[in-house]
Amino acid sequence: MSAVVWAVSGMLFLLGLAAVVLRRQLLAMFLGLELMVVAAALALGHEAGRAGLAEGLVAVLLVLAVAAAEAVVGLTLVLRVHWSGRPTEADALRELRG
Amino acid sequence: MIHIPSAVILLFAAPLAALAVGFFVTRPYKPEWTHIPVLLSCAVVCACAAYLAAFVYSGRGLDGTLFRWMVAGDWDVPFGVRIDGIGVSVLAMVSLVGALIHLYAVGYMKGDPGFARFFLLFHLFYLSMIGLLISNNYVQLYLFWELVGVCSYFLIGFWMHKPAARRAALQAFLTLRVADLGLMLAVLILMGLYRNTRFAALYAVAGGIPTGVLALLGVLFVWAAAGKSALFPLYFWLPDAMEGPSPVSALMHAATMVTAGIFLLVRSWPLICVVPGLPEFIAVVGAVTAILAAVLASTQTDLKRILAYSTVSHLGLMAFGLGLGQVTAGVFHLVTHGFFKAVLFLCAGILAHAAGKSTVSVSEVGGLRRKMPLTFLCFLVAALSLGGFPLTAGFYSKDAILDAAFAHGGWAAAAGLAIAAGSAFYISRMLFLTFFGSRPEQKPIEHPHEAPPVMIVPVLFLSAGAVSVGWLGRGLARMLGSGWPKSVPAPALEGPTSVVSSAGLAAAALGAAGAYWLTMLRPSWDWQWRRRRPGLEALFFDDLGWRRVPVACVTAAVWFADKVGRVLDRDCWDAAIEGSTGVCRRVSEAGSRLATGSLSDSLWWVMIGAAALLAWAALR
Repeated sequence: MSAVVWAVSGMLFLLGLAAVVLRRQLLAMFLGLELMVVAAALALGHEAGRAGLAEGLVAVLLVLAVAAAEAVVGLTLVLRVHWSGRPTEADALRELRG
Repeated sequence: MIHIPSAVILLFAAPLAALAVGFFVTRPYKPEWTHIPVLLSCAVVCACAAYLAAFVYSGRGLDGTLFRWMVAGDWDVPFGVRIDGIGVSVLAMVSLVGALIHLYAVGYMKGDPGFARFFLLFHLFYLSMIGLLISNNYVQLYLFWELVGVCSYFLIGFWMHKPAARRAALQAFLTLRVADLGLMLAVLILMGLYRNTRFAALYAVAGGIPTGVLALLGVLFVWAAAGKSALFPLYFWLPDAMEGPSPVSALMHAATMVTAGIFLLVRSWPLICVVPGLPEFIAVVGAVTAILAAVLASTQTDLKRILAYSTVSHLGLMAFGLGLGQVTAGVFHLVTHGFFKAVLFLCAGILAHAAGKSTVSVSEVGGLRRKMPLTFLCFLVAALSLGGFPLTAGFYSKDAILDAAFAHGGWAAAAGLAIAAGSAFYISRMLFLTFFGSRPEQKPIEHPHEAPPVMIVPVLFLSAGAVSVGWLGRGLARMLGSGWPKSVPAPALEGPTSVVSSAGLAAAALGAAGAYWLTMLRPSWDWQWRRRRPGLEALFFDDLGWRRVPVACVTAAVWFADKVGRVLDRDCWDAAIEGSTGVCRRVSEAGSRLATGSLSDSLWWVMIGAAALLAWAALR
């Protein structure tokens, strides 16, 4: 059981990582990032449930809340880039100024 | 703690007090009174020197530390005094001759705008020499040795508005720097090897020092002495040092400056004499110097330059006597030379003073014996003494050296006779050209007048010395025995044999007769050969070409320093510094290529870093 959860979690994490590293589109990279966070939260929730630790489950809820907040900020940034008329691609954004 | 007589303390205290009073009181408020404390100090020093001479003559001696001067851990340099025969016999001469020259300078320098400065420097010069003579270790001797050098620099360049004086002062100072390096190295070697430079301690271990070290030390001492005492390779600064006032020349030549080198050799004699061959080397250097300078003195036209070359010649003679093993004869000649050379210089100063110039040439004098009878008398006495006329001081001391030369035989005897003949020749030539005549080529000084009493009286006293100090030879030999190390043959002074005396006298008579023939019987000869052979005169004024050698050496050294400086500085050092900026730039450019600003590149680096951390955590 545990191995299945760890395998799913690891696969999700690697998929997310691959999306972040290999894709150039900000939206896709952002998606990958969310996947990585969820994968880590999955593993943490599983282990906490097995050990019967409420603190771990609470931390999973916190991570999900932070991920939701992060999604808001990240999507806003992507939209700002889109509205400024530039392509929403990582390689187009090399300088912080402007 | 041994008892130090108050006379020894006064030798330092009186001149220091006079200098303090002169500098802080009379110089700012009453500069024309500066000579008063200085002359009082001279009187005190003379009295102390006379007391110490009696002290040493009665067989006593003293070698003690006044205070610890430089202290570093268990190592220290003491500041002490050594009252022994060598030091005090020279000290007696230096203090007396120096004091009389101080008195003379009061008249000579009267009205000079630098009167106060002159007397303070002059007295510091005197004090330095006294300190040098009674030092009891090499570090202290080196201190006073350098003080003597720097005072001579200030005094040669005393009239600093004259470019020639500035140049001569600089030349003397730089030449002495080159020479003093030898003494400094010797002192450092002694300090490094024995941690102690006291003469008494070194005399005691002289036999145990390895010969190689001793030979090196000896050569360094000879090098230093050759600079200070104007011996052959480094003598050339002394004739040029005539740009200073005449009392300075007199003090430098007779008492304080050039005697220091010979004194150093005598002080170090227990170390030098055990090195095989080194005494003979000193004798050869002395003989070469003496003969070369005698030839050059015979061809000069400036009165003070003639005397300067004559000093070089006699310093060579002293080194010659020393090198032949006759320490007593060398010191004896040092003492007698101090008297007669002071008289000669002061007489030349009186002539210059009468002419209102700093020096005069033979073309500006002639036939002065009637107009300046006292000066003539003094000059005559000193010239006879220098030439070795019987019963004068120079006769005894020169015969003592000639005696050693004859005992050595061969080249030494020939050199001794040549020096005797040469000395008599050039001093007679100078005497005849200056006080007899005048010749058609000479335009004597207008309205010559005898010097004021303050100038002529000290010269009269010194002339009396130039006659009489030769009679004290045996007393001097007895004094020198005090404090002389037992391991070295004790100085002795036997009266020269009649053969030596008559040979020396014959050589001197020959020289004087030659001078008489060339200046009195053929009065214009001295001008004729110069007109006919200007190239020959230029050669003599060039010291037979030797003057070019130091110039060439300096030029070569400057060229070498320039090359080394340029190659090292521009092509190595600067290149390294400038090259390092290029390396930095290239490295940073290569580094900046990594920072593309691209998010995906950064993420790759993050990934690599995370993987490395994980691997490290897993493997640890």
